[in-house]
Amino acid sequence: MAITAAPPTAPTASSAGSGTTGRQSRRNTLIGISFILPNFLGFALLTLVPVVAAFGLAFMEWDSYNPAEFVGLDNFQKMFGNDTFWIALRNTLYYGIGHVPLTLLCSLGLALVLNRKLRGVRFFRTAAFFPYVTSLVAVAVVWNMLFNPTMGPVNQLLTTLGVANPPGWTSSSDWAMPAVIITSVWRDMGYYMILFLAGLQTIPVEYYEAARVDGANAWQRFWHITLPTLRPTTFLVLILLTVGSFKVFDLIVVMTDGGPGRATLVLSQLIYREGIAQGEFGYASAISLVLFVIVLLVTVLQFRLGERRDR
Amino acid sequence: MNRKALAAIGAAAALSLTLAACGSGSGNAPDDEATESGPVDLSVAVWSMDQTPEFQALFDAFEAEYPDITITPVDILADDYPEKVTTMLAGGDTTDVLTMKTLTDYSRWAGRGQLEDVTDLVTDYPDGKLAGTDGYDQDGKFFAVPYRQDFWVLYYNKALFDAAGLDYPDHVTWDEYADLAQKLTGTDAAGQKVYGTYNHVWRSVTQAIAQAQNDGDLLSGDYGFLTDQYDLNVGLQKDGYALDYSTAKTQQVSYRTMFETQATAMMPMGTWYISGILQAKKDAKSTVEWGIAPMPQVDDGDTTTTFGGPTAFAVNKAAKNKDAAKKFLAFAASLKGAEAISAIGVVPALQSDDVTAAYFALEGMPTDDLSKEAFAPDDVALEMAPSDITADVDVILNEEHDLIMVGEKSVDDGIAAMESRVKQDVLD
Repeated sequence: MAITAAPPTAPTASSAGSGTTGRQSRRNTLIGISFILPNFLGFALLTLVPVVAAFGLAFMEWDSYNPAEFVGLDNFQKMFGNDTFWIALRNTLYYGIGHVPLTLLCSLGLALVLNRKLRGVRFFRTAAFFPYVTSLVAVAVVWNMLFNPTMGPVNQLLTTLGVANPPGWTSSSDWAMPAVIITSVWRDMGYYMILFLAGLQTIPVEYYEAARVDGANAWQRFWHITLPTLRPTTFLVLILLTVGSFKVFDLIVVMTDGGPGRATLVLSQLIYREGIAQGEFGYASAISLVLFVIVLLVTVLQFRLGERRDR
Repeated sequence: MNRKALAAIGAAAALSLTLAACGSGSGNAPDDEATESGPVDLSVAVWSMDQTPEFQALFDAFEAEYPDITITPVDILADDYPEKVTTMLAGGDTTDVLTMKTLTDYSRWAGRGQLEDVTDLVTDYPDGKLAGTDGYDQDGKFFAVPYRQDFWVLYYNKALFDAAGLDYPDHVTWDEYADLAQKLTGTDAAGQKVYGTYNHVWRSVTQAIAQAQNDGDLLSGDYGFLTDQYDLNVGLQKDGYALDYSTAKTQQVSYRTMFETQATAMMPMGTWYISGILQAKKDAKSTVEWGIAPMPQVDDGDTTTTFGGPTAFAVNKAAKNKDAAKKFLAFAASLKGAEAISAIGVVPALQSDDVTAAYFALEGMPTDDLSKEAFAPDDVALEMAPSDITADVDVILNEEHDLIMVGEKSVDDGIAAMESRVKQDVLD
């Protein structure tokens, strides 16, 4: 519903001149605010208010119908004493630690390969992007078939390669998470490849020419030119990936539904179960608050590190 | 220009605020009760109507009986039904009639005071006995009226039994059942693998039947009574007499496909599937020659104990047309409602000899005595007693069931984990 208005602050008004009165600048500010108002209103009503309300709910007990009851820190006490929460937290971190670096490497690699002048490069770029626009449910179902322990092509390939006991993938507690991570990397790398490709296009060719004249080899050119100039893009991709992996929900629900047992249960799924399915909205809000704080801390940390490197 | 823009934005903001106010305001104030004299538009929340023909059958019969009431179904995807209705109710939805898909959902909504008291509708029905009302008893009050009552039977493929030269599974024990499963496993003429039996992935296939036949209690935190049934079902898949759980789960195998393509000779399943087979045969999608037998028992004998669950309608407390909604509940539980749904192979909650006779007179129904006997079990236990801990226990039992059946945990370890987790996380 919100109209996304670009918010440049009063481009028409002249900021020059010593005679600029306070009224003039206040007017400019008001106009500026008015530009972002529609967007902000939508954001405030549909996102900010519910988020703040959810934080409040974390300290209450609420079944979504009867009046909420203030219970202080009870929800948090319950959460920290419950091993399902810790398992979900550990699984979320496990997923993130697997998913973020692998997707980053694969998408960067793909972007580097597809940034050259190759025959049919457009076809390969489309092919790499294809998984991202495919319906997630279809992706999960197909990968489940590929990962079938007895009849799936993945294990048939492994057996022909001489692996005696191929993993049970989604039917094994140890291998279910790697299976989900592989699927998610395959699905997401096309999207981040596009971001990296856009970043690669902005690197001036002169840098490479100069380096070549100085006798730098391909690896040196990559290490000293491509990577540093790509840093803003890498940073963006890293943040997006991290936030995305902490919020992972749909892929897990369709592929394993948290199983076997609790082997792939993640936090957002636990929030959904406790809140929407079990009707314990206070407890679910408390878990959301913890998830929010974790994502916030990790993102702030990444920003700090990014800033320090830029200096 | 700037001023105009400001004015426009102000107007837009005001408008969006009003809209938001409308959106949140309509929830808690149900419209004034519609007068029941004129035509009434009754809304009923149901799931996956195209796959659940009983709803349309009931609606048609009801509209014929009450010409001034029109029914507007609110169709919800079956898998999302409980969550969707929870969300609707939280938002102050005014849908008149809500279908109670499971007892767990019922006890949750009734416990929150979201359903209308309909105790007066549960008491007396002149044409027969209304089965399955016990599950809806909340301290002597009822907030829903059952209209169908399903229970578990053993489906079997007559042609495969004949080909193997075996007698039909007439009142068998679990040991005899395992023996039959072994003998029936093989390949058919086309080279397709045929399993002796098929256990669907639900935990009730093992747990609810063990509870019913061993006087267990799935809410108690003591699960020793599950051991034998788990040993049986794990053994069947280990020996290859039943499709293994991992394949069934990861490939999302449909139990209907297993039975209708004759990939299994036996299958324990609920009576709701009868209407499914009738439809598949009618549409010429399957050629299976089928019958039903009583569920296998622990001990030899003619008493049949099985488990099952009722399905009911309830009136939303925020309903717009409460009188018409109550009329619908009473109709669905009455003889006319029972006739309407039994005509398509659904087992009504209202039980009488007439209803059973009409049921077996349906085209395509097996007519042998064994099937009729299977239809009248001596004891139908609840799948799981409704209570405020049912949902939490359910999650734990599901997770550990999963681990036992994929072979991650031994039967004993899995049961020990169920006990310690339920005691620690739920009962304490």
